[in-house]
Amino acid sequence: MNRLTETLANLKQQNKKALVAYLVAGDPDIQTTVDLMHLFVEAGVDAIEIGVPFTDPIAEGPIIQRAHDRALKNNISLKDIYSMVEIFRNKDSTTPLILMGYLNTFMFHKKIIEENKNSAIDSILVVDIPGELNLNDYGIKSSSINTISLISPTTKQDRIESIAKNSSGFVYYVTLRGVTGASNLDSNEISNNVNEIKKHASVPTLAGFGIKSASDASLLSKHSDGIIIGSSIVQMIEQNSVTKEFDRIRKYITEIKQAIS
Amino acid sequence: MKTNKQNLPDKNGFYGEFGGKFVPETLMYALEQLETTYKKLKDNNEFKEKFYSDLSEFVGRPSPLYFAERLTKHYGTGSIWLKREDLNHTGAHKINNTIGQILLAKYMGKKRIIAETGAGQHGVATAAVAARLGLECHIYMGSEDVERQSLNVYRIKLLGAHVHAVNSGSATLKDALNEALRDWVTNVDDTYYIIGSVTGPHPYPMIVRDFNSVVGEELISQSKKLFNAMPDAIVACVGGGSNAMGAFYPFISMNETRLIGVEAGGEGVETGEHAAPLNDGIPGVLHGALSYLMQDEKGQVKETKSVSAGLDYPGVGPEHSWLKDSGRAEYVAVSDDEALRAFHEVSELEGIIPALETAHAFAYLDILMKEYDSSANIIVNLSGRGDKDINTVAEIDGIKL
Repeated sequence: MNRLTETLANLKQQNKKALVAYLVAGDPDIQTTVDLMHLFVEAGVDAIEIGVPFTDPIAEGPIIQRAHDRALKNNISLKDIYSMVEIFRNKDSTTPLILMGYLNTFMFHKKIIEENKNSAIDSILVVDIPGELNLNDYGIKSSSINTISLISPTTKQDRIESIAKNSSGFVYYVTLRGVTGASNLDSNEISNNVNEIKKHASVPTLAGFGIKSASDASLLSKHSDGIIIGSSIVQMIEQNSVTKEFDRIRKYITEIKQAIS
Repeated sequence: MKTNKQNLPDKNGFYGEFGGKFVPETLMYALEQLETTYKKLKDNNEFKEKFYSDLSEFVGRPSPLYFAERLTKHYGTGSIWLKREDLNHTGAHKINNTIGQILLAKYMGKKRIIAETGAGQHGVATAAVAARLGLECHIYMGSEDVERQSLNVYRIKLLGAHVHAVNSGSATLKDALNEALRDWVTNVDDTYYIIGSVTGPHPYPMIVRDFNSVVGEELISQSKKLFNAMPDAIVACVGGGSNAMGAFYPFISMNETRLIGVEAGGEGVETGEHAAPLNDGIPGVLHGALSYLMQDEKGQVKETKSVSAGLDYPGVGPEHSWLKDSGRAEYVAVSDDEALRAFHEVSELEGIIPALETAHAFAYLDILMKEYDSSANIIVNLSGRGDKDINTVAEIDGIKL
């Protein structure tokens, strides 16, 4: 069974909320990314979203853009990311891994995705395709990878239904109008929209974009099946990329985990 | 805004395999809203009257089709005609599109206008129409372009708009587009994004093409009047491809007219240092559309090289990709050096300083005119005037202004 599907089902059974954490592959380098992924899991992360660096990441705010740029300086490609995941999988064969990136990369590296060596990756989130569509619609077929669709505050009712039905990993509810790392959460709107999604989706609904503090996390987890944190972690990676002392991240994840428990 | 003869794009915004809507989910509703509004208005008589009267009174259309006597003599073969888009208000074809899109923005009740610009012509054209309607206007421009197009930056500011220099990535047109898209994602409720070329997600390539098609429509009647035939060829420069698309579109079903797009060859297509995706790119997705794209061996978008800021873009409008693959249009490239030569030549022979972008179209006449005899009529779309480029050219020529 797909690790992501299994993990989310187990959490649901135990009435627990999922915590997904994001980083960019190769920021600041491949070995550090692997170390951080293990640290995430030790601190309580249930699934890891790996950002695939792209030259033109239009949905990202400045913090994650800079992370993409740092990774690109190391010439990271999707092939390198698969090698990185292989190293991670030597020590961790159970944590679900999600690739988050832009369609151009996945189309260009179609064969690597279709092969999905050792079923190392569990899910793919393409930021720039309409929610009703998934990689299959672009001729990329992989039975071991499920796809996550995004729904935003501006998604109309009729589309919420078809997008929710199209999602196979979870539905990713984008909590705000904006790029990653922005901050204008609207609790009422989130609650209404997530309830609407849940009417149609057979998979869990997680919320992300704009979560900074433990109280944001606590608030959003009340409305959803779990949360995704990205920019605040990537910022801490940026600030500590020279010393590679990441205790702050461990502490931050632990706090968030407690807030949603 | 004549009815589409090819019925492209299809209902999902595709031209053959190219085009589509590849944007973050937050923008999907905004694109649908725009498409619905446009479909409702494009055949509405009141809207059309307003569009054409603004083009006549604010822009000065129709622009002349002018016989280039000395350039014709210079080549000694067919007659060369110039479509004088350089005479439009604000100095280029870009205003045709902004006049139309600002009417859409007004109809939709948007209070804030954003746009990206490369050479600055689209920025100026957007700032001008926004000023006219008293709308807040923000222009995104790569910091490298802010540098090399300082004259246009100042014009935009004089027109009351805010200029945001973009430092990310290669700090050129593509990065300005990224930043404009991010602004739009954030402010989607009250903001209208006026894309400046036939690029971006559906319905933009269609809308920008339709508004610019006034150029091709005028060419049909002017050709009949001036040489009583359809032209043998239309030559236009292609960056994103809006001036070319506007001139080509009404001619697509007239197979007797060759349609020739000229891309920026930079240091030469063979060197890889250029901005010619139709000559040396592979299909990929950038800024919301699937089209020919300059990519490296890892699927990353390549940085481009061109003396002309307006052509310095790694992608191209999806309909051009379709016209290339279907064989209806031809796409060639000329180098920086060839374009600079043509820039001087046209200035001296015709008394018209063309934009560096347009100079690429002129440079290709060197090859093209050899294929014709004196009975031929060749049109060059003179997409813009070159005042904005004099600092760049002077610097290359080693002259201090």
